Amino acid sequence: MPSLMFLGASSAAGKSTISAIVCRLLSRRGHDVVPFKTLNLSLNSFVDKDGGEMGMSQAFQAWACGLEPECRMNPVLIKPHGPGRLQTIIAGRPVEGDDLREKAFSTALECYESLAADHEIVILEGSGSAAEINLKKTDIANMRTARETGSPAVIVGDIDSGGVFAGIYGTYMLLEPEDRKLVKGFIINRFRGDDSILGPAITKIEELTGMRCLGVMPYLPVRLPSEDSLDMSGGGELSGTDVRQAWMDNLERLVDVAEKSLDIDVIMSILEGSSA
Amino acid sequence: MQWVKEKVREELAIGYRGPDQGCEYHPCHHDGQDCSWCFCPFYPCELPELGTRVKSSRTGEMVWSCVDCEFLHRDDVSRFVAERTQEMNITDPNDSRLQELFTEVCGRFRTRAKAIMILGATSDAGKSLTVTALCRIINDMGYSVAPFKSQNMSLNSSVTLSGDEISRAQQLQAMAARIEPDFHINPILLKPKGDAVSQVIVEGRPFADYDVRSYYGEFIPQHGFAILERNIEYLKRKNDYVIMEGAGSPAEINIYDRDIANMGAARVADADCILVVNIEKGGAFAYAYGTVMLIPEEDRRMVKGIVINNMHGQASYLDEGIRELEDRLGIPVLGVVPHIELRLPKEDSLGCKDRAGDGPDVAVIRLPRISNFTDFDALEMEGARVRFVNEPGQLAGADMIVIPGSKNSVGDLEWLKNVGFDVALLSLKGKVPILGICGGYQMMGSRIEDPMGIEGDGPGEHEGLGLLRTVTVFDSQDKFTKQVEGTLASGEGKVRGYEIHMGSSDRAGHEPLFLIHDDGVREEGCLDIENKVMGSYIHGLFDLPAFRRFAFAMGGSQEVFGNDRDHIEDVEENLDLLADAFREALDMDRFVTEFMEVVTCPR
Repeated sequence: MPSLMFLGASSAAGKSTISAIVCRLLSRRGHDVVPFKTLNLSLNSFVDKDGGEMGMSQAFQAWACGLEPECRMNPVLIKPHGPGRLQTIIAGRPVEGDDLREKAFSTALECYESLAADHEIVILEGSGSAAEINLKKTDIANMRTARETGSPAVIVGDIDSGGVFAGIYGTYMLLEPEDRKLVKGFIINRFRGDDSILGPAITKIEELTGMRCLGVMPYLPVRLPSEDSLDMSGGGELSGTDVRQAWMDNLERLVDVAEKSLDIDVIMSILEGSSA
Repeated sequence: MQWVKEKVREELAIGYRGPDQGCEYHPCHHDGQDCSWCFCPFYPCELPELGTRVKSSRTGEMVWSCVDCEFLHRDDVSRFVAERTQEMNITDPNDSRLQELFTEVCGRFRTRAKAIMILGATSDAGKSLTVTALCRIINDMGYSVAPFKSQNMSLNSSVTLSGDEISRAQQLQAMAARIEPDFHINPILLKPKGDAVSQVIVEGRPFADYDVRSYYGEFIPQHGFAILERNIEYLKRKNDYVIMEGAGSPAEINIYDRDIANMGAARVADADCILVVNIEKGGAFAYAYGTVMLIPEEDRRMVKGIVINNMHGQASYLDEGIRELEDRLGIPVLGVVPHIELRLPKEDSLGCKDRAGDGPDVAVIRLPRISNFTDFDALEMEGARVRFVNEPGQLAGADMIVIPGSKNSVGDLEWLKNVGFDVALLSLKGKVPILGICGGYQMMGSRIEDPMGIEGDGPGEHEGLGLLRTVTVFDSQDKFTKQVEGTLASGEGKVRGYEIHMGSSDRAGHEPLFLIHDDGVREEGCLDIENKVMGSYIHGLFDLPAFRRFAFAMGGSQEVFGNDRDHIEDVEENLDLLADAFREALDMDRFVTEFMEVVTCPR
């Protein structure tokens, strides 16, 4: 089953948006694509047709694929409410109890398997940064998901706040050596200006890591449903009357740009490699 | 050399006397230099960092020359020497105890400052705040310290006493260091004009406009390194410590060889570096590791510590990650600084955030090239709610509307009209106080004349918003930069601030808003009390309570805001709180032993 996972060098790197873009891009080419994110830490949730609660970003990605959102696309949702207090939602429903991690992860894998059986391609999204070395033993949302689903991965870095090469290189290097083998490429997101000045740095990172640069996405002030409070700075406009339609119109604009900015052949070859 | 000894004898008798303004050579070293020891009582000290041996042009013999030595012209050093010579009752220039005193002086002060550089893994890592905190901490320890940032890109600039333009961030750091800011602490300031072009200010004065390519391709190689070297050298001679701030990330490997703001500056200053990472956005360990490892090996050894900044929650939660990072890099993590909420002037785009409050509602129009939005920090003290608005509908409910400063009055005036603010503001005229500051003041008038095309795309005249009858003319490239003090035109209450603008405005018969006390008394700004419209060139006009009250009262807002304090006092208090938080969070013993290096006299 072809699949591809987008990891973040930081939590607001733009994983959700890049995932939505790639979902839409493949969907435009006639592929049957489905989004998946093991775990969302967010207060921005959506409710599917059966009343199951899920992260807004996967609902949006489902629309990008032309699908009805389903909570199995985001089997674990953690909603912080108050200092140190969390509500855990597994497969769309709140679950009580301590130490839910393993239960959550096995449910997530079941959801993934069922989606993979129903669709042609799965686009996965990691959670936060993939290299939080203090959480190495407890993180289920990034490399553990990639390993268990056999998904190749791509690191997304936000260049707008600076240090993107360090962020991407550091993320790659802090992964365990066997996990690094799964990471095939990187995307530089939110670039303003003339991207030819980045050339030497991109080549250097490619040489140091063996990853391929899959493209430089320009900064576009476009409003999309933001995943969490860190991402509210979006700016841009929403026009029309139905906000969902306005979001999709904005996504189409991004995908038009991505058609030129991302190396789609390489993305396809990584996807093909993953199914082999 | 007997006459020199006689001069020293006179100086020993007088003691400390400060700058000698009456001297025909003053200032022979630097502005504000101390002149108590015009002739050095320790001559010839023969310390290589203070002078050199040269061949005398008169006798041909090798003599000790220290013409560039600033050490005894530092106020703190001079006072100390004067105090000790009095205490020790040294009156004779040949007194052997002067040798002993010199050793003491060299142990108490650094003949050349030690440089510590704060690097950031990302642009919002918290470098500036860390420099601010360290300036206060080191000055609290009794040392003279200066901040330094070679190049700063910011529209929030400030004016020094000598009328030089520097970044506001460095001005705040100077305040933390308890020194009077001058252009040496921020010798290059880039003010974005839009479309990738910036006005480059060098040593306080406008130099030229550059785009990214010509800045790195021409300006940096031709001028950048020389500017850096002379200003770092100046600060090193005048202080015990220089705390330098990097710009952006030091690991932008595509511009590494032209980056004078990070490792380039560290090399020139021979600085020990501390890398700050912001943990709030995730990926802090990866960014720290990647930043250090992408710095070329020969420079990497200058990075000697890491600070994790902006932690929400328990620091102990990071222990495992910190241990692994230290093992992998061989660089210690000096501490985890918690997220701190302080009232300090905000930096750049981060500062353009709404501020909550229960007091009056102030709507600030978020111009595309908004500048000097630190003007609104003082309103927080009144408990005002400050909202940055970008569409006319958001003006509803405001108790005051502000059109702020702009880097391009003509361009932003067009934007106001395109978005529909022109109509909205005219309809609110007379109902809600409307204040224009600097560029905003220029836009409020009846027109802006730009015969040289300084602001617009070409020469032209631009119709203003018509809130005032004022006419603004851009008839010269000259930039007016000055710190000002005065009163409200009614005479009641003080105002203090600074002006930074090109162009000048004719009041066209309106009453002035302020009376500025320069050489004489100058009428400044416009007040149309009937229509509740005010305009002024003065940034910082809200800093003192008088104008805040006046403006809110005009809106009929008679509530007691109850804050009589000067904004500066409030900032001072917050600087102390900031320093406390860093002292608490950092391993200070380690910082002192590894970064401050106990001074020992070379002899």
